[in-house]
Amino acid sequence: MLSRDVAATPGRVGIGLRGPHVAEILASSPRIGWLEVHTENYLGGGPATRALGALRERYPISLHGVGLSLGSVEGLDRLHLARVSELARRLEPTLVSEHLSWSSAGGVYFNHLLPLPYTDESLALVCAHVDQAQEALGRPLLVENPSSYLRFRHSPIPEPEFLGELTRRTGCRLLCDVNNVFVTCHNRGGDPDAYLAALPPAAIGEIHLAGHARNDADGRSILIDDHGSRVSEAVWALYGRAAARLGAVPTLIEWDTDIPALGVLLDEARTAERVLAGLAPGEGIRDVAA
Amino acid sequence: MTSLRELQRGVRRALLGRGDAAAAAAVVEDGLAAPARLAIYRHHVFTTLTAALQATFPVVCRLVDERFFAYAADRYIRREPPSGPCLFEYGATFPAFLAGFPACLGLPYVADVARLEWAMNRALHAPPCAAIPAATLRQIAAQATGDEALALDPSLALVASPWPVDRIWRANQPEVDPTVTVDLSARAVDLEVRRLGDDVVFRVLDSGAFAFRRALADGEPVAVAAGRAQAVDAAFDLAEALVALVEEGLVTGLARRV
Repeated sequence: MLSRDVAATPGRVGIGLRGPHVAEILASSPRIGWLEVHTENYLGGGPATRALGALRERYPISLHGVGLSLGSVEGLDRLHLARVSELARRLEPTLVSEHLSWSSAGGVYFNHLLPLPYTDESLALVCAHVDQAQEALGRPLLVENPSSYLRFRHSPIPEPEFLGELTRRTGCRLLCDVNNVFVTCHNRGGDPDAYLAALPPAAIGEIHLAGHARNDADGRSILIDDHGSRVSEAVWALYGRAAARLGAVPTLIEWDTDIPALGVLLDEARTAERVLAGLAPGEGIRDVAA
Repeated sequence: MTSLRELQRGVRRALLGRGDAAAAAAVVEDGLAAPARLAIYRHHVFTTLTAALQATFPVVCRLVDERFFAYAADRYIRREPPSGPCLFEYGATFPAFLAGFPACLGLPYVADVARLEWAMNRALHAPPCAAIPAATLRQIAAQATGDEALALDPSLALVASPWPVDRIWRANQPEVDPTVTVDLSARAVDLEVRRLGDDVVFRVLDSGAFAFRRALADGEPVAVAAGRAQAVDAAFDLAEALVALVEEGLVTGLARRV
């Protein structure tokens, strides 16, 4: 129901809201399709949370969580889930998303989206946690494919199939991070186009784009998903092919390290809009609630 | 085959720098050794958690310099990693850690500056809370039994230090001339920290007001708090102190002691 906000917005491309840009956005109300925030930064009662309330009056907001730890064997942190649900009730975000990963073990929160082995055991666990989260939120969750720097020896289910099965069993939707697909396929071996083709297209409710860095580790090149630069040419090309296949899925530009001037993010957003505008006629924006 | 529980336990050990063996055994090398792959994750964990501590303790970072701060943060993260995903809530025990950190012994005021910064961070993120109007409080006071404790603004914190941490903090703001020096023998301070609007502010209280407010903030009833204040300041005036508390918008309700 609330997701029609995104569909009704003239801009189809949003940006991740970052602290250094809040004052400028409040002052100048630039044209932005929507704003996405990291849920965990807005669970306190300070000025950032108040500013978000003011931005909510002008832009659709989506909540992007990094702390639910959907893949943790120790179960979801109930208090944290309750806080996220309370924020979602207050803000009425267009979308609520999380990651296919785990972050907590033995009472420690690692502040990282750690990889899961893709097994039946993991699938049953993540499904149970997604069910629990959707129950608490009272709405479908979007689950994002993580970026990864390793592969487990025992991980028999390919990642896109794992995500597809997750959507079938829980009714959750997918947040397809095209940069993560590129990074993961580079680091673990794999064809990014084949990966995208293996995702269930109707389940994809949002796309993420960001920059990555290239590191040379012991003579092997590893891509690091640092969200610290413009989207790479290769990822733009992959995005173009994804958009041609999926239609104009709401797309978000993320930037987290070495955050540049707001204008740079808006410029990246315009590029994504041009890609979407280049789609064949009739490829209208898909309602994210569909 | 390793269970997911065992695997996560192994990765947890690797990330905390307590040994890679268990996690590495589960990882495909594929051109890059498993420990090197795990190190990418560990590096991200430590850099982002260090950055979170830096954001909460910027003056401490400036006092000890960024490299030493990263070293102290590394030791602290290994010993007391975060337990929850809201990083603005991480670091409550960092001041105590610094107080006991041998490498900090030459800068004995640093831990107290950290206590002030933690109080400011707490104040910044405290839930918004409306003060009760003076008239309402007068009505309540008319029926008071003396056992009541006051509920105070949740952003309020009371920080005492033998060092002039208020001057140290102000002299280490980015816009201040770095050649400004602080006389460390200047004085001990009793500080009150709170959020006003969007800003966190602190100011020096006299010893009576500080003892009174600290006792109230600890949940003591008004009569007990007044006794604490009179013990350090014979001239302490309870009626005046209560008026000041209400006028400053610090009283948010009445809490009967249980």
